[in-house]
Formats: sequence, structure tokens, C-alpha cells
Amino acid sequence: MEQEKIEQQINELTLFEGLQREDLVYVYRGLFSQVITDSIIALTENNLDSTGESTKLKKRVFSIMVECLQNITRHQFIDGREDLTADQSGMFVICNKDKSYQMTSGNVVNKDAIPHLTELLEKVNSLDKDALKQYYKQVLEDGSISSKGGAGLGLIEMARKSGNKLFYTFEEIDEFISYFYMNTSISQQLDEAPIDFIDIQDVVALHKFVLQKNIMLIFNGGLNQKSLMDILSLINEQAFGRLERKKKMYNVMVEMLQNVVKHGVKCDANRPGGNPVIFYIAQNGDEFSLNAGNYIDNASIGKITSKINHLNSLNEEDLDDYYTKCLLNFDIDNSKEAGLGLVDLRIKSGHPIEYNIKEVNKDMSFILMQVTI
Amino acid sequence: MESLHIVATEETPEIHLDAENNIFSISGRSLPEDSVSFYEPVFKWLQEFSEVAENDIEFEFFMEYYNTSSAKQLAKVFLMLEKMSDKVFVQIVWKYKKSDPDMMSSGMRFSKLLSLEFELREVDC
Repeated sequence: MEQEKIEQQINELTLFEGLQREDLVYVYRGLFSQVITDSIIALTENNLDSTGESTKLKKRVFSIMVECLQNITRHQFIDGREDLTADQSGMFVICNKDKSYQMTSGNVVNKDAIPHLTELLEKVNSLDKDALKQYYKQVLEDGSISSKGGAGLGLIEMARKSGNKLFYTFEEIDEFISYFYMNTSISQQLDEAPIDFIDIQDVVALHKFVLQKNIMLIFNGGLNQKSLMDILSLINEQAFGRLERKKKMYNVMVEMLQNVVKHGVKCDANRPGGNPVIFYIAQNGDEFSLNAGNYIDNASIGKITSKINHLNSLNEEDLDDYYTKCLLNFDIDNSKEAGLGLVDLRIKSGHPIEYNIKEVNKDMSFILMQVTI
Repeated sequence: MESLHIVATEETPEIHLDAENNIFSISGRSLPEDSVSFYEPVFKWLQEFSEVAENDIEFEFFMEYYNTSSAKQLAKVFLMLEKMSDKVFVQIVWKYKKSDPDMMSSGMRFSKLLSLEFELREVDC
């Protein structure tokens, strides 16, 4: 059993290390509200700013994102079905790979709606730039707006802004509903040839993975104080059951992420933006696990692991004393370190801090830390 | 003595230190990336104030949330106030929301560490 757990952790580590090769992967699964879409946009904006993308590209990415997020918000529920199960909630994915930004929306659809939707998508995909413009005008003049406020204008807009086809697929959920994945990608070099093919099955696989692990959020990218604040605003919107738990989640996230901002290192020193991190939140029954993976200098591994092991061995009372001791230890007190972060995580969680380290090269390793709330 | 007023942001608390009007308070959220620099003006102000202080003071804390690096800076503020209490009477009021027992515990922790008049005050909101 123990062996299996370790194996599994190593597998996850490898997976996340794989994700880490991409500059930005951001996955959100759950309820979509205005505040949530705002914070997703802000987080992406911050990332694009820090990696120095052009204003023109940023504008296009945002307008596509906005359409994508509106689609999910509008269609996240099925009429007549009040509560959707976890595997039916909306999902948004943005990633930066193969020199493009790829955005995918995921939401439930009535099977009845599939033929019309397919027709609309095929129509949009069949038109070139000028024809799309014409078609846009025509739809606008027709004024045939559906009850949900969409007439396919959003789809046309996404195709126009991206200069690419909309890749999509439907996965059956039950007799009546399916899950609809739609991808819009945009080249980082705007004048490049259109993107011929996006394997939407990659996103379907990612969706299966997040469902299996019950992951509600993955953020992979350069982290700075600003992006940290955006991730926090996203969390503030979530219902984690008790208010007390929400506060703890907030506390733990601040400490985990500021830890990376201050102590993480870059695998590739030339990479723009903040320190790379993979942060994800998963639900396990009644508990949530918060996970942060980042690179660290091999030289600091010994210090970190002995500190975590020591903290894990302490009981509640000892931890409290330890916290007080650290609080008043002004030998460690500078802009980088207060010496209190890990002990605070350990106290807030009430569980041991799990960690896993994998050597990357002779200078640095990848560390994944898990705190359960 | 000139007062110090720092307006709250999403990640830093409101600081209001005004000797003339007898206002001493720190309130809100504190999670700046560099809390040492953020609290530097507070230490400086308190240091100067401690040299001229003559009257009783009531110092109010009403924190919504603080990160660990801010905890250490708050500890430093308390230690300065403790030192000041040799000279003038210092009353600490640690406010916390009724719905926030963790903030009460945090206040309790500070109160145990200090020899200061320390009132934990529950606020209904």
C-alpha cells in the first residue's frame, strides 16, 4: 500500500514535470461566475505581460478567452437539471505550446442541440477570412438571437480573431447529454500560417485526468505576487464547505505560493516571468489537498527536508511552541525569510506535510509539496 | 509629530499612527511579498514616537488576515510597544470578528508572549 502511494506520487511528479515544460497551463473546473472569469482573465493577462507578448496578440487572446468563458458561463447548466455532478461541471483550459496559445472550453450540452451546433461550427470552419466577415454581418442583421443570447456570433468571432479553425468534439455522458469540447488556438507569431490541426483528444485526456484526481484547479506558469493575488481571488469565490476551511485554504495557499516566489528557482535562467510553479487543488472526500511543485537548488534540499521531517514528528503542543520560538527568532528575519512558513502550514493542516523530490540535474531538483486541509 | 497614514490595499493593511489625535491602529490584510520593507516606516515612526511619548496610548489591531512574514513584523511592533510601556501606559486592543476564532487565538498567542495590557475584543460582524 505504502509502496503504491509512493509510486503514484512519482507518476504525478513526472506528469507535472511534463506540464512544466510548457510555459503556461491553466485549468479551471467548476462553477463559472463573473468573478471567476475575471480572475482567470487577470491571471492570464499577468502571465502574458510578464512573458512580454505583444499588445496585439494579448488583445486577441483576451477576446477569444472572453468568448470562451462566456460560452461556458451561459451553457454550464442544462435546463431542467438543477445540480450537475462533478464530471459535468464546466472547464476552461489555456496552455501555451507549440508556439501558440490554445484555449479550450468544456461544458455540457443537450444531445438535441448537437446537430445545430455541429452545423454552425462546420459552417464557420468552411469560411475563409472575408467570408467570415460577411457571414458575421449577415447573422448580425438577421438578428436571430437564441434565448441564451447566442447566435453563433461568438463562434464566428473566435474563428476571426484566431485566424484558425475551431476544433471540437462531443463525449457522451448519458442518454440525454454530452460534454462539448471546443478549442481555439492562436499562433504567437500572428502572421504565421494557420494551425492545421489541434488534437482535442489531449484536452479530453486532461479532463479525464482532472476528474479522476478530482482536481479543480491547475496553475502552471511563472508565479509572482500579482498572479498569486489572482489565484487567491479565484479561491475566495469557491465554496469549500465551512468558512473556517476557506480561511485555512487561503492561508495555506499564501504560504505555499509565497514560498515558491521567494525560494523557487528557474530551471532555465533565461525564461521570462516569475519562478515556475505547478499548483493544483484536488478534493479527496471531505478534504482538499493543495499541491505546489517547483525547482529548488540541490544545496538547499537537506535543510528543507530535515525541517519538514522535524515538523512532521511534532505534536500539536510542540508545534505551537516551535511556532512561538520561530516568531521571536529575529536572527531569521529578512525580505526572503521569516522561518515561519512551514510550521504554519503544518499547524493549519493538522496533517503531516507530504513531499517528493526528484533530481533534475546536478544543480537543481523538482520538489512537490502537498498540504491537506 | 507627523502622523503616518498608509491606505489599505488588497495585500497590505491600513496603518494609522497619529500621536496628536491619539490614534494608533493597524487593520486589514497583510500579505505583501516583502513585509520587512512594508513595515519599515512603522518601526521608524514608533521609534521616534517612543522618544517623545508622554501620554497613555491605546494601540488597536484589527487584522483580517496576515501571512507568516507579517506575523514576524507584528511581533516586532509588539516588542517595541512593550519597551515603550516602561515609559507610558500602553493598552493593546486586539479586535477579531466573532466568526474568526483563529484570529482570536493569534491574539492570545501574542498576549501570552508579552507583558502588556492586552484586551481581546470580539466584534459583531
